[in-house]
Amino acid sequence: MINIENLSVRFDNAEVLQSINLDIPEGTWSCLVGPNGAGKTTLLRTMLGMQPYSGSIKYNDREIAKNKSLNIAFVPQRPSIPAAMSVAEYVMLGRAKLDGWGKESAHSRNIVHEMLEATQLLGMQSQLVNTLSGGEMQRVLIARALVQEPEVMLLDEPTSALDLHHQIAVLNKVEEIKSTGVTIVSTMHDITLGAMYAERIIIMQSGRVLLDGESHSVIHSPELRSAFDDRISVHLLENGRPVIIAAKRATG
Amino acid sequence: MKKNQIDRVWRWQITASAAAALLIACLLGVGFGPVNLNFGSIIRTLLGLPNGLESEDRTLLLELRLPRVVLGALVGAALATSGAVYQSVFRNPLADPYLLGVASGAGLGATIAITNGGGDLHALLPIFAFLGGVLAVAATFLVAGRLFADPSTLLLAGIAVGSFATAFQTYLQQRNSAALRPVYSWILGELTVANWDVVKWAGFYILIALAVLIRISKVLDALMLSDEEAYSLGVSPQKIRMIAVAAATLATATAVSASGLIGFVGIVVPHLVRGLTKRATNRSLLSIAFVGAAFLVIADLGARTLLSPAELPIGVITAFVGAPFFLFVLRARNRGSQ
Repeated sequence: MINIENLSVRFDNAEVLQSINLDIPEGTWSCLVGPNGAGKTTLLRTMLGMQPYSGSIKYNDREIAKNKSLNIAFVPQRPSIPAAMSVAEYVMLGRAKLDGWGKESAHSRNIVHEMLEATQLLGMQSQLVNTLSGGEMQRVLIARALVQEPEVMLLDEPTSALDLHHQIAVLNKVEEIKSTGVTIVSTMHDITLGAMYAERIIIMQSGRVLLDGESHSVIHSPELRSAFDDRISVHLLENGRPVIIAAKRATG
Repeated sequence: MKKNQIDRVWRWQITASAAAALLIACLLGVGFGPVNLNFGSIIRTLLGLPNGLESEDRTLLLELRLPRVVLGALVGAALATSGAVYQSVFRNPLADPYLLGVASGAGLGATIAITNGGGDLHALLPIFAFLGGVLAVAATFLVAGRLFADPSTLLLAGIAVGSFATAFQTYLQQRNSAALRPVYSWILGELTVANWDVVKWAGFYILIALAVLIRISKVLDALMLSDEEAYSLGVSPQKIRMIAVAAATLATATAVSASGLIGFVGIVVPHLVRGLTKRATNRSLLSIAFVGAAFLVIADLGARTLLSPAELPIGVITAFVGAPFFLFVLRARNRGSQ
């Protein structure tokens, strides 16, 4: 269980996160949505413990700022892609927290092999990461996070650089990870996709949480439209699934 | 590869091979020159065994060639390791140890010593160069503002500070044209000043800096990832960057003040080792230090013998040999990755 209480974050003089309260149950997938600048990525970075904050963020009653042993994985929106590093070497870095830096146990090499297989990267392990396509790199990032065997996985726009086919492949993989008991918190621009996979949606605007609840109810809420200045519209497909699209404003 | 297991990222045998290459390079370095020495006798002399070299040959080995080879190895190790570290810290494969203005600063310091001092200050040239280099890097950090808030700001600040120091250096040279030749000769690099005193003070700083860098080399791999991922693996990227840049700057400033500006080692050697081993990890840092040392010892051997009895500046050799070889490795690597 992740409990966030009265969380605020300041950059210089601006308050970028304001009085956030959230309870995120273990083994669930929560998706942060909101317009650019709403504070989604800052919230993820703060949940990682990287950002000084006031208030509290507890993972099973352990405060994140005081507990370096928590195993939280992060999948960045803009990865750092080193030159001349192979896929296997890159993914292996994820074992550093468990093995110690510079060590590589036989067990770790097994796990890396297993995760490369699970992310359909086996056979590409010698390829250099700076030669990969966007979809392949995204799978490498997820494999690297997975070999960390995290309790919590934070994903910043995991599908933003991908075509539709690869979006689904990556999200299915994340869903599989969730089913093993890992708590997932992601940001996603595509609210339709977010609602399809995450059981909870948290709407953010200007550093605040506007609404937080079960995906289907949140999607039909007026708060969602207001977060996007009424520039979206929600449609239902024949199977009852909601689709959210940008609404064209009447001109003149 | 065992079934269901990926290959090891690093093997100790690679480091051992690099160390062996350095030993061989050192042996060649002390053995060859205008007078060639017998390898067996050299080894017996160094180990203090009977039947070693005697009289002039012994002095030639212990007082001339050995300090020069040791200084070459120290400078080579310092430049190669610092280059590799800067490349990791700035996530830029083209970063080199002279990036943050250390070279231009040292050049300015040396020029001040040469143009103002005549004979007296010339002896203090290494100290002036060292101070110039360190002050230039300090200025770079000052101009860039918040430490590492953005690595590219730091790089640009380094370029600005470097240009300023170079302009000032040119101005001093123009006002004192007699200094042109010694300044340029220093800029091209030289190991001719090597004696045990220089080796001692340069070795002291370079070995401290290298020990720090090798110690943190494994954690440096975290900087290959985004800051968030590094943090999620228990590493504070800012802290590691600061320690790494401070140690690499100390090593580079010392190397520059002991031997002038020897170009190319900091870029060629890391890429060479990473290209040949097909590994990007910083666990290669010790091997890079050994290969950098070997590379400079061999380059100095060339500088001493190719136009003997005249000497070529060592920087000319490193660029002359290094550049084509580097291009060859780059091509081979790119072909491999396609």
